[in-house]
Amino acid sequence: MIRGLLRRLGAGGAGPEPAPAARAQGAPEGPDRGLLVFENTSEVIRAQKLLRDAGVQVAVMGPPPEIRKGCDLVVTFPLVEELRVRRLLAAGGGPQPLEVVPVTGPLLTPVDIFQVKDFGTHLMVRAANMKLTVDKSTGVLVNVSGGGCPDVPYLAALLVGRRLDEAPSPREMGHTLCGYALGLAFEELQRRCSPS
Amino acid sequence: MSDIVDARGLSCPQPVLDTLAALAAKGSGRIEVLVDTEASRENVTRAAQAKGWTVESVAEEAGAYRLAIAKA
Repeated sequence: MIRGLLRRLGAGGAGPEPAPAARAQGAPEGPDRGLLVFENTSEVIRAQKLLRDAGVQVAVMGPPPEIRKGCDLVVTFPLVEELRVRRLLAAGGGPQPLEVVPVTGPLLTPVDIFQVKDFGTHLMVRAANMKLTVDKSTGVLVNVSGGGCPDVPYLAALLVGRRLDEAPSPREMGHTLCGYALGLAFEELQRRCSPS
Repeated sequence: MSDIVDARGLSCPQPVLDTLAALAAKGSGRIEVLVDTEASRENVTRAAQAKGWTVESVAEEAGAYRLAIAKA
């Protein structure tokens, strides 16, 4: 597995590049997407988990400027599932969106929250406010930075020095929004490093 | 005499990457790393320890941290 991982890691070019967040989290690409806008990030996280556990192909992204009225993240979902999504959120006691918006044009296209930078020997993925860096030759995580939340040192101690395919998920181990963002970066690195 | 990695003014993860490159090139012995943020100090310390090196001392000087890192 690690060989395929490293092959993928070595394939990147130099410099920052956007990561396909929708694909990163298993969401289909295409124009027929909708956005769920919430009051705060905690609600985004709860909604994403609730919908993902119910089998809805969701992704967390940055809001388009036109609808930036809630928090700094939105949940995207297949628009054909709007009724089911609304019912799931209502029935599960989940957070209620401020708005449900179809992606109808460039101004309403959500913004990628990932940034990827290839340092040659290392690859860094930034998700929102957190950065995670891996050694491309070994698959070992070498750095966690960003955030400022109290659990970041704990998460860094868990991750640094361990291989990407054996490290614990920061999303499960963390307790803050930094842990959540680090989890997104971790999953994006895993996606990029998984055998194709 | 120590090798010196001057990572002042660099943002993460560059100080860690420069330190790891110096540790790999050195193999064993002693190097010094200069960083100017607390986060970089912690990250460099963690990365060095993960590679089996020991941070022998951390000295504050003129708004920077000087880390002495060694491996027998």
